[in-house]
Amino acid sequence: MKKEAKIKKVKKSKKNKGFKEISNRSGYKFFMPWLIGFIIFTAFPFIYTIYLSFSSVRLTVLGWETTFNGIANYVTALLRNTSYTPALVQFFLAEVIYVPVIITVALILAILMNGDFKFRTLFRVIYFLPVIVISGSVMTQLMSTGSVQIGNVRGVFIFQILESYSPILADLVIFLFNNFAIVLWFSGIPIVLFLNGLQKINTQLFEAAQIDGATGWQILWKITLPIIRPIILVSTIFTIVQLGMFPINPVYGMIQNAIFDTVAGLGLASAYAWIYSFLVLILLGVAFLLLKDHSKDYAYVDVVRLQNEKLEKMRKRVRRQQEWNAFFRKQKGVKHGKH
Amino acid sequence: MESIKRFIPILKKKLLGHNISDGLIYKTAVYVLLIAIAYVFLYPLFRMVSYSFMSTKDIINPEIDWLPIHPTLLNLKIAWEVMSMPWTLLNSMWFAGTLALAQTLISALTGYAFARYEFKFKNFWFMMVLLSFVIPIPVVLIPRWMMFSSAQNILQFKIIGTVIPQLLLAIAGQGVYSAILILIFYNFFKMIPVVLDEAAKIDGASNFQVFYHIILKMSVPTIITVFLFAFVWNYNETYVTGTFVRQALKLMPGQLGLFDSIFSDKVAVIPGAPGGVFRLSESYKMAATMITMAPMMIMYFFVQKQFVEGIEKTGITGE
Repeated sequence: MKKEAKIKKVKKSKKNKGFKEISNRSGYKFFMPWLIGFIIFTAFPFIYTIYLSFSSVRLTVLGWETTFNGIANYVTALLRNTSYTPALVQFFLAEVIYVPVIITVALILAILMNGDFKFRTLFRVIYFLPVIVISGSVMTQLMSTGSVQIGNVRGVFIFQILESYSPILADLVIFLFNNFAIVLWFSGIPIVLFLNGLQKINTQLFEAAQIDGATGWQILWKITLPIIRPIILVSTIFTIVQLGMFPINPVYGMIQNAIFDTVAGLGLASAYAWIYSFLVLILLGVAFLLLKDHSKDYAYVDVVRLQNEKLEKMRKRVRRQQEWNAFFRKQKGVKHGKH
Repeated sequence: MESIKRFIPILKKKLLGHNISDGLIYKTAVYVLLIAIAYVFLYPLFRMVSYSFMSTKDIINPEIDWLPIHPTLLNLKIAWEVMSMPWTLLNSMWFAGTLALAQTLISALTGYAFARYEFKFKNFWFMMVLLSFVIPIPVVLIPRWMMFSSAQNILQFKIIGTVIPQLLLAIAGQGVYSAILILIFYNFFKMIPVVLDEAAKIDGASNFQVFYHIILKMSVPTIITVFLFAFVWNYNETYVTGTFVRQALKLMPGQLGLFDSIFSDKVAVIPGAPGGVFRLSESYKMAATMITMAPMMIMYFFVQKQFVEGIEKTGITGE
């Protein structure tokens, strides 16, 4: 008796909820650990850091004590501290110079390796190797022993001309070449992504373009690049984020030192972190706007809409024709009837 | 003369090809370029290996560029001692292994939820997964540090300086590059036909049974790939580890980062190290770097396919 009642009860509750809702709930079961973790360890800290950056934070016997002190931390970070702003500028320049270089090199390598190519696996393995071995301290040691510097650009004639024209530009070029090998190390993942994307392009597209008389150069710019544009965007965002995490970026180290600096406190560290993040978000935004897929906005939708409109017009015309036909027939019929 | 004239078009076709990209000249150029860039990629590693076998004499000698004349294992020995191997390596192994296990488990769960279930604001949460990758770590690191250090004070239990903070972060799905791991699982689970789930459910399996018996057992290769990535990234991670663990636990990249100071403390007691006045030579540092990299390199040698294809499995290249 009891068992039956239980079964009935279960059935009833299921009927009330419906299958979809139940499966939704168990979806949350799988999803819950991440969700809780995200709220506690990422969403809340993200907002809390804003608050911290406007206050002074002290560790007392009772715990953390925060008092609001306006924009003092920001003033200290940007105006009083003499090393933060230069570090920020250095980071910004590194991103602006390195990211296009990394993406371009990765793209060129992927295009060269695409198609009928024998040692693709071998080269791919070589180019991917840095992703596995790179770490902050490895990079620092390699850079400190000069192992990443291939040749010296200062001796090159063209470089001397450049230096006499614009010392700032020359510094940037030196900056790039001194760490060139390490910079290339960041292109490991973009190469794999590009190669994978290129191999998915339908070769019939290229054949059709060739028959229409397009050159290889035109095919590259008009077909290949537009198709893999989303991958360029993803790789760029990935590279911007990645570059920030390594000792090429001096700001990370400064923030870490500020966390352990008991005199200045965590408020200053938060201000550092927020200014830095703001800069990164701007970079990401610019990358997104530049590389966003515009074609989807109008071209594709327009074709479909145009076709639909045309169809609709044709249907209308046909309908009108039929109506007229029917009308004439009727009229004829009426005339006949009159006679 | 005739034969030469006949030969020219054939030669031209061989060299330039029907298309330029079929010709011998183009192919040679591509190979030369790719090999040159591969050389640039590997240059720091070659330098590292070369330096780490050079004796002090060879380093000073300006005529020696790559191959040492008096090769020596002393550098490796000293670096081995300074980094307190093999204990550091063992520490790193279980440290990265634990975190990687936790990350793999949680990203599998999350990836499965996104691949199979419909719930409210699903797209929003998916965006949040991607966003958690983009947010710079320092912004979230400071409150996290406050949480853990006040938890330490309240619980009177050592948290900072152990694996606990990062383990909690990993379990919460906020470890190193967790978003990418979730993406790999998400894309793989999407490829498994839903019919299998439904069949198991009709046979009376619960949701977790379906997940464990059907899905997980089918995706062992993906699990291995994700675990390997998580392992490598946790092994190489220095920033979060440097904040939460600091020097309390000897880990490979951490020891390498502190190499200079440890070296100057320890050098007097290491047998075979140069006594008296000396300078910290590059070869010790490079030997230490090589020791740090070696485990990952050896692993990569055996499972490179998993790594390269793992990145393709993220599905960001569009399916």
